[in-house]
Amino acid sequence: MTNALEIDGLRKQYGDVEALKGVSLTVPEGAFFGLLGPNGAGKTTFINVLVGLVRASGGDAYVFGNHVEDDYREARDRIGLAPQEFNVDRFFPIHEVLEHKAGYHGVPEDVAAERAERALKRVGIWDKRDTRFDWLSGGMKRRFMLARALVTDPDLLILDEPTAGVDVQLRRDLWELVTELNDDGTTVLLTTHYIEEAERLCDEVAILDSGEVVTVASPEELMDRGNDRIVVTLREAADAVPEAVADDDRIERVELDGDRLVAVARQGGLVAPDLVRALDREGFEIVDLEIRRTSLEEVFVDMTRQGEAVGDGESTDSAPSASAEPVAADASTDGGADDPNPEGER
Amino acid sequence: MNRVDLTGFLTLAKREVLRFVRRPRNTFAPPFITNVLYFSVFGVVLGERVGTVADVPYILFILPGLVVLGAVSNAFENASFSIFHGRWNEYIHEVLTSPLSYAGMVWAYVLSSALRGLLVGGLIAGVGWGIVSALYRPVPVEHPLYLIAFMLVITLLFASLGVVGGLLAEDFDDLTVMNQFILRPLVFFGAVFYSLGDLPPALRQVSLANPMVYMVNGVRYGFLGFAEVDPRLSLAVLAGMTVAAVLLDVWLFERGYGLTD
Repeated sequence: MTNALEIDGLRKQYGDVEALKGVSLTVPEGAFFGLLGPNGAGKTTFINVLVGLVRASGGDAYVFGNHVEDDYREARDRIGLAPQEFNVDRFFPIHEVLEHKAGYHGVPEDVAAERAERALKRVGIWDKRDTRFDWLSGGMKRRFMLARALVTDPDLLILDEPTAGVDVQLRRDLWELVTELNDDGTTVLLTTHYIEEAERLCDEVAILDSGEVVTVASPEELMDRGNDRIVVTLREAADAVPEAVADDDRIERVELDGDRLVAVARQGGLVAPDLVRALDREGFEIVDLEIRRTSLEEVFVDMTRQGEAVGDGESTDSAPSASAEPVAADASTDGGADDPNPEGER
Repeated sequence: MNRVDLTGFLTLAKREVLRFVRRPRNTFAPPFITNVLYFSVFGVVLGERVGTVADVPYILFILPGLVVLGAVSNAFENASFSIFHGRWNEYIHEVLTSPLSYAGMVWAYVLSSALRGLLVGGLIAGVGWGIVSALYRPVPVEHPLYLIAFMLVITLLFASLGVVGGLLAEDFDDLTVMNQFILRPLVFFGAVFYSLGDLPPALRQVSLANPMVYMVNGVRYGFLGFAEVDPRLSLAVLAGMTVAAVLLDVWLFERGYGLTD
């Protein structure tokens, strides 16, 4: 089976700033793949290389086996992109914008009209079909971005921060829709800094920091790399940390807080039974036990702030850098507010 | 051109044409009003005092030049504005992220912009025809094939140059500068309102370096049947410039100039 994405040593340099420092990744067909990273990590630059909006300074990127520059037409035809910024044609009502987008991908006019209708109904804004993009509400705009990505019937759906700034209900609606698409076989590449989103949706995530891949793993594997907290409540407070607990190499740290003993360890679920037995042997009566699992967010913060890979031997060079995103991306407008000529006066 | 490319090209061309057709107040009304004023002031009021130039009434003499002025400036403006506005708001990404070939993109922008130039040129010719016919005699079209050929070539040339302008511009002021400070002076010194024969020899030689002279001259030959420069040579040179401009457009798109980071 061809991989949806094969990226080898991808680099992008903007003057002195290295936005991508040799990114290598493989995303299998049908995967739900997350790309996590703080602002300026290079996520949008990475996506823009795939769709042809940024030219790589080095390395190779293949979309379903098609090189993004040498076979750009084949590569782009497989991708549907919902970018973070609202870059929508403001001259036409939204159903026409979708028909045009489908047409650019070679979809005949009558089929394009059907696809536009289906996409707008799917995201729930069919009744707004004759409205221009600028007149949609914020949530509808976000829905429309997804509809535009879907209208070309892509094999690889790229969602760049799709739920940025949307309310909880819309976020859940979008999650549901994207999950359905993935279940139907569409490969999904999701960039987000909502860790919960990645945790819920992704089979595998790559953490990108300062233009480098820190690690690639499933959310569960990543959480296993973080430190869980085992909180044991004792009948009577201990005077000192019990010897058996202090001697356990798997426990990184132990704290006593009144009648509570808190042990910090990786894979707390495996350590806790031994800890309970050891305390019992030493005569402590346990009245409560709680294992607080590390969150993906804590692992993410650990990896991107401390500049250390956890467990896989890879390393990053530093704490998050200043923005490595292209300047041009910041110049985009959101809703046309900065456009001195939104109506096309020429 | 395969099916995907043809459909993509036709879709983009249609989008571009609809953009200006649906906004006649912005695209067709201004040249209509401007040219009614030109014909009234230059042709009728001043023309009475000028009399004839090259043995034709002055208003008839300036008509081909005004057609050229309207056609090329609208072809240029359409392409440059459409591309720059798309860049400014980034919706040109809808096209750039599609499988349409770079040549397909360029031809869609160029042909649709040339069409606007031709429509505006036709509109101005209609206005001139109405006024001239009412005052003097029907406007002749002595060499219709030359007229068509020149109009096609000059609108394609300026649409292609408009693509370059749209890619080079950094803000809307740049578009104004290109139109007001480069295009219009070239047209006004391109023998629209005077005959080259009326100029001193030195200025005449300088004028021959202005490509507008050949365009105005060629269109005038199509309408009135006389030319101060060989129309075949003019057509050949302008056609060569058009091919070069289109190739430059495609090259810039392939390089991603002004379009990609």
